[in-house]
Amino acid sequence: MSYHYNEAFENPDYHYSETLEIDRSKERNSSFQQNLHDSSLHDDSYDSYEGHSGRGQRNQDYPMAIPMSSMQPGFRYSHSTSRSAVPNTNPYGNPHTNPSFEYEPELAYTSPSTFHAMDGPYVRRSSDMSDGGSFSQRYNRRQADLVYRMPSSLLRLDSNAETYNEDKHKQEKLIKNLASMSSRERIKAIQKTPKTMKEKRDIRNKVLMEKTKKSVSYSTQINCCTQCLYKTALSYRRFKSGLSEYFHLLQLWQKTLKVIGGKFGTSVLSYFVFLKWLLTFNIFSFLVNFSFITIPQLIASGPNNLTFNGLELLTGAGYFKKTVLYYGFYTNSTITKAENNSSYNMQLAYIFTIGIYFIICFFSLVYSMAKSFHKNFINPQTYAGSAAKLLCIWDFNITNEKAVKLKQSNLSTQIKESLSEVTLEVLNLSLKQKIARITVHLVAWVASLGTAAACCAGVYFLSRNNLQLLEGNKSELEKEAATLVLPIVVSLLNLLIPFCFALFGLIEKFQYPRHELYVTVIRNIFLKISIIGILCYYWLNDVATSEEECWESLVGQDIYRLIVIDFIFCLLGSFFGEFVRRIIGTKCCKKLGVPEFDIARNVLDLIYTQTLAWIGIFFAPLMPAMQIISFFIIFYVKKVSLMRNCQPPRKVWRASQMTTLFIFLLFFPSFTGVLSVMGVTIWRRTPSKQCGPFQGLTSVIDAVSGWIHILDSYSSSKWVVWIYRNLIGSVHFFFILTVIVLIITYLYWQIIEGRKIMVRLLHEQIINEGKDKMFLLNKLRALQTSKLDPSKGEQQERSSSLYQPSRQAALQMTASLERPFGRNGRDYYAESSSAGIPEKIGLSPADAEGHQPAISETLALALRARQQAEWEMEDDDDEDFRP
Amino acid sequence: MGGSASQLPRDLLGEYQELTFLTKQEILLAHKRFSELLPKEERESILLKRVPKSKILTLPELRANPFQDRICRVFSTSEHGDGSMSFEDFLDLLSVFSDSATSEIKSHYAFRIFDFDDDGTLDKKDLEKLVNCLTGEGDETRLSESEMDQLIQNILEESDIDKDGTINLSEFQHVISRSPDFASSFKIVL
Repeated sequence: MSYHYNEAFENPDYHYSETLEIDRSKERNSSFQQNLHDSSLHDDSYDSYEGHSGRGQRNQDYPMAIPMSSMQPGFRYSHSTSRSAVPNTNPYGNPHTNPSFEYEPELAYTSPSTFHAMDGPYVRRSSDMSDGGSFSQRYNRRQADLVYRMPSSLLRLDSNAETYNEDKHKQEKLIKNLASMSSRERIKAIQKTPKTMKEKRDIRNKVLMEKTKKSVSYSTQINCCTQCLYKTALSYRRFKSGLSEYFHLLQLWQKTLKVIGGKFGTSVLSYFVFLKWLLTFNIFSFLVNFSFITIPQLIASGPNNLTFNGLELLTGAGYFKKTVLYYGFYTNSTITKAENNSSYNMQLAYIFTIGIYFIICFFSLVYSMAKSFHKNFINPQTYAGSAAKLLCIWDFNITNEKAVKLKQSNLSTQIKESLSEVTLEVLNLSLKQKIARITVHLVAWVASLGTAAACCAGVYFLSRNNLQLLEGNKSELEKEAATLVLPIVVSLLNLLIPFCFALFGLIEKFQYPRHELYVTVIRNIFLKISIIGILCYYWLNDVATSEEECWESLVGQDIYRLIVIDFIFCLLGSFFGEFVRRIIGTKCCKKLGVPEFDIARNVLDLIYTQTLAWIGIFFAPLMPAMQIISFFIIFYVKKVSLMRNCQPPRKVWRASQMTTLFIFLLFFPSFTGVLSVMGVTIWRRTPSKQCGPFQGLTSVIDAVSGWIHILDSYSSSKWVVWIYRNLIGSVHFFFILTVIVLIITYLYWQIIEGRKIMVRLLHEQIINEGKDKMFLLNKLRALQTSKLDPSKGEQQERSSSLYQPSRQAALQMTASLERPFGRNGRDYYAESSSAGIPEKIGLSPADAEGHQPAISETLALALRARQQAEWEMEDDDDEDFRP
Repeated sequence: MGGSASQLPRDLLGEYQELTFLTKQEILLAHKRFSELLPKEERESILLKRVPKSKILTLPELRANPFQDRICRVFSTSEHGDGSMSFEDFLDLLSVFSDSATSEIKSHYAFRIFDFDDDGTLDKKDLEKLVNCLTGEGDETRLSESEMDQLIQNILEESDIDKDGTINLSEFQHVISRSPDFASSFKIVL
């Protein structure tokens, strides 16, 4: 229990340093001792005693009162006030205000003997019992520091009235602070306080009272306008909360997700959340496409006289050719309803709907990517070790009893492994081994890239041959069946090659499992994207230039087939990969065991199909509908397969970082690739002559430029023309935009660099503070042993705690010295605020305010401690100061 | 609502919404679940009653949680320290574990949950208990003494910034701020 205390004392740096010797000799000087005692160290801890005793007492006398002072640091925005307020409100700023301090200087040392081991600030205390327990929960940042400062029965009577006043003052200040905020901010602030409901309600009521007081005085000034504004704001808020309630009901699969999370934890859950997120994308795009493109077309279209046989569902050809599913069915005319003469230009509707959809997609992707990065990669350096991760590793989502047991045993093996790894890693690899390792990596990379290239080449030749096959004269059914060859081959490649890559991963021995995961993900995404890339090349280069009747519809059909076959393979994959694998694992070959859910592979599959669907939107506007159906089915199939066949993943999966990576992958090769394919299609390719909305034009974009040309003749819409010519159509504008974006990026990058340096400096500062503290603790103990020896027996008698008396005092010291860190620690990391430094350095002088004669010595002591700490620091490696 | 359960008054519901991170639906669901824990005749006066810890722990959301005792203790305002919970305590709990709670308040309560002896810092003993909770008390999963020592030393090395041998709240929050998964895993949804 007394571990850290002893450590401080056994620290050789403090024992064998020169400065300490000097200090020791100085210690004998009793006047110094007295001064030290009187000033900086003493009054701070003393203050907090009082805070405590006052509170305990007040609790009996004034059950409604709440220690507002203790709340202040909890608010970010009140930092400035609390910072300046705390030193000033120290009741011992002027020693005369407390008589007990004058009479009995030793009191501070003797009083901690009433310390109770279980008497933390947030456990129920006997003095609190009368108060219905509202006090038992009190615990917040400041109190964490006050933790060892226990109420002293001797001090209580002297100081409680005064501290009460002080607390009341602080409370008033805080309430005023809260009252001056807007109601929304206030609600947020109150929500954020770590207190019980009762206390929060008290605060709120007080704030509201304050507000009504104010509003009574203002009420004469309120005029009609502000009232009106207020009313609209109120109704808006009501409307918004009503709307959010409504949306809450719409939330899909809430229950299912909870069950999955409860059994498999956040990692597997992240796959399903990702699936749901993609589904919402598709639902949105379906709604947009359906309402702006399909409905007008349906109004104008004639009857479909092709026959339907089952095979179309797989091939997407035949009957579907003449439906709204494909580009070729849409007309290029303007749809007019005779009654009111309003017309609907199909060309423009088509291009603008898809264009705007992609723009919205772009921004929402960028937004979610940025948010995810901001949340998950905000710290430039992460811990090399993972021991600290244990503090927050437990997944409170898991509610299934078996899953808890499993998770516990997994954690246990993981901890054991990592502990043994730490010892292994110390052994450095020899040069030969290093070279061997690098060669293996190189070979694996070459092999995997080669495989991907070979796959692409195969797919390309197969698709070209397929095209020729289609042109040959064979029966209709045979033709349709032949079209299925390509998607089946592609899906097979997509299914089998990742297994090859996984085998490579077994041969390569990565130092960290994380690296293995990243490498596999990169290889797989490379494979999938290059297959899609080669298909796009084939579509735009071969199909688009061939003399086909309606090449856009052909591409649409190809994509349809790819998606359908991939969907079927996905179902088969979860059947064979998970169900059959489980049967084998449990029945035949026990060593294999129950399979795990492969999150990375499944997410990459989703990214692959989503990319296809995005490309398909232009060629087949109702592709999102397909995607919605297939995602729905995949969700349920995966869920059932997961529940029946899989076990929770054994390894720690850094869910949020991987999700960020996946969103990034969805954006970078996938979405940007789609955009470039769209760009080529719209600007460079000639649309087919006999079908589709753009028939007869040399390129799709001509529809827009033609429209602008028409608009030019109307004076009322000149601004549209201007925007088009000067912004969208001009190279200069984009050039300037790019330059501005680059400048901003550079600026932010520099700011980040600066912050990094700042963080490092502040980290060093904290370590110095810690050393200061240890040093002063040493001093204090030395002082105490010399002083308190005679009264030791008595103290132990009085103490009901397990702690040694000296430790109590030391802890008290710890608490008092810890306060600056406790109070400002957040700022250091959150804001890299430079304002923190002067205050920290000035710790001792600030606290010694009002003890003029003592300042110089205290300052000297503190400075010496700092100096010593700095010397030590120079001796140590830099590593010590980096996290 | 089970027919016999009383509805929450409207203004109280609004107040709860204002004081916690919960939405209206979540509060109503919590009310329903909480009233199910009470015996039938007490359901009328749900706001005044306390549910003993043993009953609270029958909730499937807490039943298997290794930190269930600590959670009850931290959120309970009982005078006797028996971990019994009133409806408002229950709402406090759900608010902290809800989706919309800030990670600041989550880490604050996580610290309190892990602070087994309620002394305001995570010291060696707390960490030991914490690790035991994480690995389970079974013989085969429990860490040996030397492993435990090594592990705790590693934890302290990485997270004890001011090197005083314990982890205080600020240090704990610092660690938390570096593990983005925390906010999503420190969650209990009814």
